[in-house]
Amino acid sequence: MNKDLLSGLVLLLIAALYHRATGAIADSTLSDEVGATGLPRVLAYTLAGLGLLLVVRSLLVARRAGYTADPESQDARLPRAVGFLLFGAAYVAVLPLLGYLVSVALLIAAVTLFERAERPWAVPIVAIGGAALYWAIFVKLLGVHQPVGSVWQALLS
Amino acid sequence: MTAFWDIVHLLTGTPLVFVAIGGLIWGILGGALPGISASITMALILPFTYTMDPAQAVALLACVYIGAEYGGSIPAILIRTPGTNSAAATVLDGYELNRQGRAGEALGISLMSGVVGSLFGLAMLVLLTEPLSWLALAFKPTSYFGLGILGLSVIASMTGGSLVKGLAAAVIGLMIATVGTDPISGVTRFTFGVPDLLSGVEPVLVMVGLFALTELMSQSGSSNFSRLKDPVRIKLPSLAVMNRLKRAQAIGCIFGLFEGLTPGGGGSIAAFMSYNEARRWSKTPEKFGKGSEEGVAAPETANNTVASTTLIPLLSFGIPSSNSTAVLLGGLLMHGLLPGPRLFEQNPQVIDSLYVGSLIAIIAQIGVGIVILPACIWLVNRPRPYQAGFIFALILSGIYTLNNSPFDLGIALALALVGYLMRIAQFPFLPMILGVVLGHMVESSYRRSLVLSGGDHMIFLEDPIAVGLLIASAAFAVYSLSREVRDARAIKLQAVQS
Repeated sequence: MNKDLLSGLVLLLIAALYHRATGAIADSTLSDEVGATGLPRVLAYTLAGLGLLLVVRSLLVARRAGYTADPESQDARLPRAVGFLLFGAAYVAVLPLLGYLVSVALLIAAVTLFERAERPWAVPIVAIGGAALYWAIFVKLLGVHQPVGSVWQALLS
Repeated sequence: MTAFWDIVHLLTGTPLVFVAIGGLIWGILGGALPGISASITMALILPFTYTMDPAQAVALLACVYIGAEYGGSIPAILIRTPGTNSAAATVLDGYELNRQGRAGEALGISLMSGVVGSLFGLAMLVLLTEPLSWLALAFKPTSYFGLGILGLSVIASMTGGSLVKGLAAAVIGLMIATVGTDPISGVTRFTFGVPDLLSGVEPVLVMVGLFALTELMSQSGSSNFSRLKDPVRIKLPSLAVMNRLKRAQAIGCIFGLFEGLTPGGGGSIAAFMSYNEARRWSKTPEKFGKGSEEGVAAPETANNTVASTTLIPLLSFGIPSSNSTAVLLGGLLMHGLLPGPRLFEQNPQVIDSLYVGSLIAIIAQIGVGIVILPACIWLVNRPRPYQAGFIFALILSGIYTLNNSPFDLGIALALALVGYLMRIAQFPFLPMILGVVLGHMVESSYRRSLVLSGGDHMIFLEDPIAVGLLIASAAFAVYSLSREVRDARAIKLQAVQS
């Protein structure tokens, strides 16, 4: 499917879901002429209009010029990019359990290996060193309360 | 006289010097990393400014911007890969000079031209911003609504590509801005029972997610950059060389000023335009592309001028004209600071700090630029997998410092995925970010206007400023649409002819 056509359909879907969600906004006695739902509904209609425009335009262009597939470079890299992002999601999941120091070391190691580091034997050393550096900066220097890790707390108590 | 003593106090009584030099170093290192633009370098440090004094936080971001513009020229000259988009024009002659064994000279010219451009840009910023901001005193809620719409329309129109996609991105940004508590009635919207969403989605998460994380995702799997093996030392240009370059630098200053004031202009356009004009006005145009000193001086002066002049529309009216100024606006809003005349009246220390911090950074750039070069080369030479791992960990650690909330991390990661999909579908980021940043102003001024008029929309036509701004918004949209149609026809004609 043409990318613009797909984008237009996605915009229509977002507009419909967003408009539906405006129904859940409560009424307020403090409300003004427009109300809390006023602008969101205008935005939903505007986005739907723009989505429709994109759909119509992509259909017209495809019919006139004959559809040719877009270069696949960015698309082909989507699974890899999503894979990269999953390491971030895993970090969010393990952060409260394993704490900052271990989680960030695992994150650096995982991403470095995923990105095909040339000397894999060096990865654990660099990851531990990097985690110690970040821990020193964030926790000790900046005083950020990063999670200690419920697993370690349970083991120590 | 009070202002003078304020500046003396800033120089001696606060750690502004450290903030300015720290920001400059961070900016140069970030800018030197290919793929990490000035806006990403600023977005990376944005979460850390959350707990800082507002005046120092704003100065820090401005100094990062100044540093990144110079930093971008280092890999452009040394490995033919611009560190930032605006350094792309520097590659043309900078790398040629490097091939001729004159890398040190090219870096010196880039550094000093950057200093000239930055000083000129700062002078223009100081001279023009406050007088322009007083215009905003005549603004009513209707005018602010018009201004918000103009900002969105200009950015949606001028970011290149399709107007429809630019506008759609702006609308999605406005939609994100509606999440949280309604500014007038106080009811919650689109929170889906999640307490973390009550205060809305912070613009900083959108910026970090779209700029920094999306870029990392896009670069995933890329190979290492070319390695630099030979040691290089910066050779500062002599007075005679600087005298020879003054025409190219003057051209860079003019285009830097013009493009900085133009919404959607930015350092890249200024750099290429000044490169072309410098060649046209040069006594030795044949040297351009073959290692011309003027070919380095003009674009570097221009993009460094833009780093200051692009702050003029931001500080006067609150309209960011580039990704970097959108991040700076995010920094201002994060500390509850609204650009415009009230910022000059109520928080003069923020403005003084920004000006003085920028001046310190510009002057310090000469020394820091020389000292930091080996560190930049070391950083660029690190294998990409390690760079990716460390930058990803830095971003996630930084986001957590905002509210100590894993929920923020989830939001930023989700926005990164949205950003990647937008990149595939060729939707621009800036209108979306601007929608998030300006959403509150657009909605509250629109609704306040209607409260004043009892629901009559004619109030917008009774305010000449609002009418002017709305007409200008429409004009920008029409211009962009006609340009799009013209480009499409030209492509079609070209296809038929070939």
